[in-house]
Amino acid sequence: MQLRDFFSTDTVDLALKTETKDETLRALVGLFHLDEKSESILFKMLKRRETLGSTGIGRGIAIPHCRSLVVNRLRVAFGRHAAGLDFKAIDEKPVHYVFLIVAPPLEVSNQYLPVLGKIAQFSKEADVPDRLAGLESPKEFLQLLEEKGV
Amino acid sequence: MHEQLETLLEMQDLHMQRRALEEGDVREFESGVFDMSVEEALAALEDKISDLERRLTGDVQERYRRVIGSRHRAVVPVLGGVCYGCFVAVPTSWASESDPNAKMNVCQNCGRFHYYPP
Repeated sequence: MQLRDFFSTDTVDLALKTETKDETLRALVGLFHLDEKSESILFKMLKRRETLGSTGIGRGIAIPHCRSLVVNRLRVAFGRHAAGLDFKAIDEKPVHYVFLIVAPPLEVSNQYLPVLGKIAQFSKEADVPDRLAGLESPKEFLQLLEEKGV
Repeated sequence: MHEQLETLLEMQDLHMQRRALEEGDVREFESGVFDMSVEEALAALEDKISDLERRLTGDVQERYRRVIGSRHRAVVPVLGGVCYGCFVAVPTSWASESDPNAKMNVCQNCGRFHYYPP
């Protein structure tokens, strides 16, 4: 299982224009093209998870995540925010890179936690923040994942 | 979507978060990677679930309590015309409605509430 297999160019936004954490979560959920009600429920669940503790893991990276019945398979998205967002991250620094991961309650192959783990592992690599900053297209993002082999 | 179904879905997701946090792997991951205070998180989830439960109307609340007490999941998806709680086929007429989630559907076999994913 490789992270690259879960992402596609249409769920990567390298030019988020949002101003808040909430707007950012909504924008990334929007990349999944769910119906309005499902988006709203998913947003609520992600917010709820954030109230239990920020998913900002430091070094400008956040990994909001949740399980919900409104998705029927594991979905991931990535967004980059040039100015940075207040995510109440562990290191209290602005978040520029947001990996969103959502999954249904039950998955046949139970990939949710392993994928979450791989994103965390990828995020901890020393050069990753700089490499993410330098991306010029969603395709390059996918290439980076491939190159890292996570 | 029916307002009560929306509340049930939210409750279901919160139940799931709580159960996941009680498991070793997720608990370890959330506290290790995200620095989460798991005990505080569990208490917060419990409060929110109770808060939402009070929003359920009488008959829905009664069924919810009955089902959650014995079957763990009160809301299950219907996929391919099958209830994913008991794996028994549901009447096809329900799924053919323009928005089957606009009303409260209950499995005639296992009693769980049905949700039709988009």
